[in-house]
Amino acid sequence: MQNNGKIKITINNQSYDVENKLTILHATQQNDIFIPHLCFHPELSPYGGCRLCIVEVDGVKGYPTACTTQVKDGMTIRTHSKILQEMRTEILQLILSEHPSACLICDEAEECSDYQGTIRKVGFTTGCRWCPKDKDCELQKVVEYLKIDEIEFPVYYRNLPVEKKDPFFDRDYNLCIYCGRCVRICHEHRKSSIISLNNRGRYSTIGPAFNQSHLDANCEFCGACVSVCPTGTLSEKTKKWSGIPEKYNSSICSLCGLNCDIQILTKENKVIGTLPLGDPHLTGGELCVKGRFCLIELVNNPDRILEPQYQFPEGLGFITWEEAFLKASDKLKKADGNKVAVYLSPNLTLEEIVAAKQFAQQVIKTINITSSVLTNNLIPYISLAEKSISIEKIEKSESIISLFLNGNYNYAPVTLAIKRAAEKGIPYLQIGWINDTTSRFASHHLTPETGKEKEFVKEIVESFEKGKEVSPEISEVMKLFKDSSSTIILGPTILDLTEAKEILRNIEKIIKLTGSKLFVLNPYGNLPGLLSSVDLKPHQDILDKISKGKIDSLYLIGDSPFKKRPNVNFIIHQSPFPPSEKLKPDLILPTATWSEISGTYVTLTDKRKKLKAVVKTSEKVLSNSAIFAKLAKKLGKQELKFNKKELSKLIPKKLTIKLPEFNSKPKKNIVQIKTRAFPYTLIQEKNLYTYMGMYLNQLIEGLREIEPEETLIINPIDASKFDIQNGDNVMLKSHKISKKYPVVLRKTISPGFIRLITSNKTFEFETNPCPVKIRRVNV
Amino acid sequence: MEITNVAEVVDECIQKNGNTLIPVLQDIQSHYNYLPEEIFDEVSQKMNIPLIDVYGVATFYKSFSLTPKGKHIITVCMGTACHVRGGQRIAERIARELEIEPGETTSDMNFTLETVNCLGCCAIGPIIMIDGEYYGQMTIQKAISLLNEYKAKLKEEEADDSSKS
Repeated sequence: MQNNGKIKITINNQSYDVENKLTILHATQQNDIFIPHLCFHPELSPYGGCRLCIVEVDGVKGYPTACTTQVKDGMTIRTHSKILQEMRTEILQLILSEHPSACLICDEAEECSDYQGTIRKVGFTTGCRWCPKDKDCELQKVVEYLKIDEIEFPVYYRNLPVEKKDPFFDRDYNLCIYCGRCVRICHEHRKSSIISLNNRGRYSTIGPAFNQSHLDANCEFCGACVSVCPTGTLSEKTKKWSGIPEKYNSSICSLCGLNCDIQILTKENKVIGTLPLGDPHLTGGELCVKGRFCLIELVNNPDRILEPQYQFPEGLGFITWEEAFLKASDKLKKADGNKVAVYLSPNLTLEEIVAAKQFAQQVIKTINITSSVLTNNLIPYISLAEKSISIEKIEKSESIISLFLNGNYNYAPVTLAIKRAAEKGIPYLQIGWINDTTSRFASHHLTPETGKEKEFVKEIVESFEKGKEVSPEISEVMKLFKDSSSTIILGPTILDLTEAKEILRNIEKIIKLTGSKLFVLNPYGNLPGLLSSVDLKPHQDILDKISKGKIDSLYLIGDSPFKKRPNVNFIIHQSPFPPSEKLKPDLILPTATWSEISGTYVTLTDKRKKLKAVVKTSEKVLSNSAIFAKLAKKLGKQELKFNKKELSKLIPKKLTIKLPEFNSKPKKNIVQIKTRAFPYTLIQEKNLYTYMGMYLNQLIEGLREIEPEETLIINPIDASKFDIQNGDNVMLKSHKISKKYPVVLRKTISPGFIRLITSNKTFEFETNPCPVKIRRVNV
Repeated sequence: MEITNVAEVVDECIQKNGNTLIPVLQDIQSHYNYLPEEIFDEVSQKMNIPLIDVYGVATFYKSFSLTPKGKHIITVCMGTACHVRGGQRIAERIARELEIEPGETTSDMNFTLETVNCLGCCAIGPIIMIDGEYYGQMTIQKAISLLNEYKAKLKEEEADDSSKS
């Protein structure tokens, strides 16, 4: 044994000093000795499945696999003897005998790929040229390395159907080599445990239990399995035929307030995919479905507007930018500044926001700046967020309590932190009706009684203040608060509850009383940036002004809150995406967006994150700042600068969130409790996840399948009581309202609860949560 | 057959075996004669093991079955020693007698026929095993008469049941 914990080993007659407790494979990798491998993944437990990394070790019988054998002091290892290479060749041939490999060993492979001379009428992959992983495939590389030119064993094609029904990725298990990386990353890294190796021997399959779809099995669609697959078995629907990316650019995701770091894959000036940071073939699991699969569909969306348009008397028509600026400046010149309202999206970058602010205040001269997300409930929610801790601290807390968290398709870094913490033995308590990816790790899962959510938190407060006697359920919560310094994780579902404000007020009290830390989940990308650099008016104030006729023009910058045209004279819709059909704006100005512009995003804990421009837009699409610059010039304000340097000067050094005062009259809230006649609880949720005013699940088909709108999401246990199947119609009845809805069955909702997501501004049913009964509609 | 008392049965098996999955599944199987789909969610939730892991284990081991089995399980050994002494022919004959293939169950749910690769007592081969009991030095005639014995027993039980009711 040597000093500093290093030991001496001999590899291929050369001696090396390596750290103790390494595997042979790690030791060789550190010293640049290549041993072929397929199932190995540096962050996952060793598997020893592919057998390609076999080595010879003096004094050890047989040929141990390098990935599962630890180095020992004085070990003598041979990695490339003749017999080893022969055995590897044979092992690889065995793997290839069940993997379509015609192209791998075909003499014409090179010419065929150059000219694609052969057209075959086959629907599935029978050779590399028709495989989505062609030229980026680890199996291909090992075949090249071992120079295989024939396969001695009989070839077997599994002839399994390609699984294409799930959103976002396809699975062709005919190409699978059973390396188990997807299974291990799902279990060990993401801790979702959705897929596994089922059955045995040649009948082995990989997938969820009982051949369920991934959707039914509660898959989070994080795409970790897709990234680590060494073959073309798992492939992204959007990226399938894009080939190898030219560049991996680091940037951020802009679809929620966590602003996760990502890398953007580009090719030929086009975004072809997104991945978490790290080696593209090994990384995975750090993002949620939005960051992994939705960004690319947003930026490449066929609905995007790419030319300015004007509402002529005879209808919408394309115009040039010159005409567009003329029309806009004509209108704005005449307009009374205080009768113009400017709407800003929380997805704009900090630079765009200060540009818009400068334009609104100094060119239009208005004080009516708002954002449609700034609802009356959001204000107390975000005011709590001022005390939010940074995400790294979640794992370090002594106990974790999540309140109304729905982490299945959102906030992956937070749910991962919770899962990792709970696995280490930190108590985790979940309060709410969602059965998400963290639920399995919860030591307790509490559901407040319907209509008594306020009482639930109030009881905690009162027990602290007055030592009031509490129910055994709440005493569990109290115990956590008393015994440890806890972190409360607050989910935005709370915003939709009838008594949201009262609940939030009580949560604030709890934090003061217990000294707990708080992590508030912000669903809107750059909301902190927007709130801290502009004095926004509450959205309700502007709506009131519009209805009183005090506003006659709207300038909507990436924000599109109106489904119908409000009663105003002139509307400018400036966004990457088209307006809703009935808005009928007078002028539509297309803008560049995520991946096409660079800028800054801010998190709730004032961390600045850099968004990078990685592709160029078409000439007919301008950035927001460029539009403001041109318009300002047209309106005689050429002294105002809208270039990057000047704009960054306008950004305050320290960003503190400023929230508008809201003086809404206290309303008497009516809540209803569950009764025998109305035994189910309906949870209505506003569709929170937007980008530039567009609802993500309206733009992206896969997300629509995962979180459908205007559809009841029911637990299969409840559904079986009424013999309800996926897609059936159900009559939902409350005390006052009854309405028919289609149904999907999901285990993500707890039994006894029904979820209904809507993008309408108001809820259909009288209270939220609302006691209801259901009945199947017979066709 | 309707699956009843899932919660109670699963509870009982977990209580008896603690949090060890395979013994729990074994006990559940001996109660229902197979592992009905209904028990999986229950086991997964109560033992806090992901559903897919319960399913993975249940499908991995040949002694677990996800399809209902007959009252009597006939296992014919196909190991080398039994095979050379005619195990294959015995299996084929029993299959013809019961009108099923190995791995299947008769429609009256009385018999399941299985083949295995070794029962571990090659010296007395060819062997068949019925409900865990070994019958060595088997011939086709012996197998048929054994089968008839069991059939007769089943008939008696049936007669008993009907007279009771």
